[in-house]
Amino acid sequence: MNDERDFSDERLNAFIDNELGAREREEILVAIAEDAELGQRLCALRSTKELVRHAYGHLPSGHRNRDGRFSFWGGALAASLALVVGVLIGWQGHHVAMKSPHDSVLAWAGGMFSPQPTRVLLHLDSALPERMEETLDLAEAYLAKASRARVEIVVNNSGLDLLREEATPHAARIAALASRHEMLAFVACGNAIARYRNAGLDVTLVPEAQIAGTAVEHVVDRVRQGWTYLKI
Amino acid sequence: MKLLQSRAQRELREKVVASRARLYRMAFAWCRDPVLADDLAQEALAHGLARIEQLREAERLMSWLFAILNRCWIDHLRGRRDDLDDEMLAELPSPLPGPDSHAEMQETVSRVRAAVAALPVGQCQVVTLVDLEGCTYAEVADALAIPIGTVMSRLCRARTALRGLLEPATAQTRLRSVK
Repeated sequence: MNDERDFSDERLNAFIDNELGAREREEILVAIAEDAELGQRLCALRSTKELVRHAYGHLPSGHRNRDGRFSFWGGALAASLALVVGVLIGWQGHHVAMKSPHDSVLAWAGGMFSPQPTRVLLHLDSALPERMEETLDLAEAYLAKASRARVEIVVNNSGLDLLREEATPHAARIAALASRHEMLAFVACGNAIARYRNAGLDVTLVPEAQIAGTAVEHVVDRVRQGWTYLKI
Repeated sequence: MKLLQSRAQRELREKVVASRARLYRMAFAWCRDPVLADDLAQEALAHGLARIEQLREAERLMSWLFAILNRCWIDHLRGRRDDLDDEMLAELPSPLPGPDSHAEMQETVSRVRAAVAALPVGQCQVVTLVDLEGCTYAEVADALAIPIGTVMSRLCRARTALRGLLEPATAQTRLRSVK
């Protein structure tokens, strides 16, 4: 690893909190593809953030709060908590396996240099052009690094636009990537599709896309199977 | 002109009142006591409404309200220890028992809330403003009147501590799920 680059926890925190500029983000994304341990550290930090984020959905009322005004937070909580616990279980699994620093690279979720092929799940939930590009760049970097790598790109929320023919600027690149790499899959969240259609938007997926029930379930399944989970 | 001003002020007041749920949530994350959180949110609202004309930029409303909530919380803590300066307060161990002493901690949510509330006050505030409210580091620095570097270092220590506090729980969850 190049020692000149700063991958302190503070900087990694800034990365997951979207506090870095595009160039710095890019630098870290590129480094993840080469440095398994860095990916594991980011995954752990993000899991902690997600746990905190989802722990305050359904709050007990104070004396003046008996009108149930917080109940609207309850609905999404169960689903998101399932994701968090699932991700954390995966993370915990890696952590338990990482007692010695020498083991860490090998232990990392079927890491890049282990006998197990690399399996990486990239999760995109934004339609920001730079995020879309980062996702595809990263997938390409993983596939180029390891010949037997399996990479999945799962999209939900406005990230669905990556796989919508009506909106994606990357249809040609997706088709080219898919034809070059058998082990690359594109997965769209069924819930997101339904939400788009309910809002009166057309959803025609690119031919390479598969549909999962929900992105959350898909992520949980993959993490349980030992995949490395990266949210872009 | 006067009429316009008063209309803008009225809208702003409505926004202040509408932010009660967010203030309550933040206060609850800090003190983990529903009744006290309600009091703190109420107090912050009352202060906010009374001083609404001091708010220069309407888009800064939430960080301004969190700054007020912060003062209410610090005043509450200082009520117990009036010999503390701000720096010592930030490092003040949480007044709450740690996560291990909660009977309800088997639940992930309860454990996370207990772990967050068990952080030193300064770390707890930073991590909840960033993670619950999605505040930028600059907004947190603004609300808590601390430098951005301090926001980053407190956040870093908070997340490291949370991992330490939460790992045994997730290990248990994992074991149970394997059984």
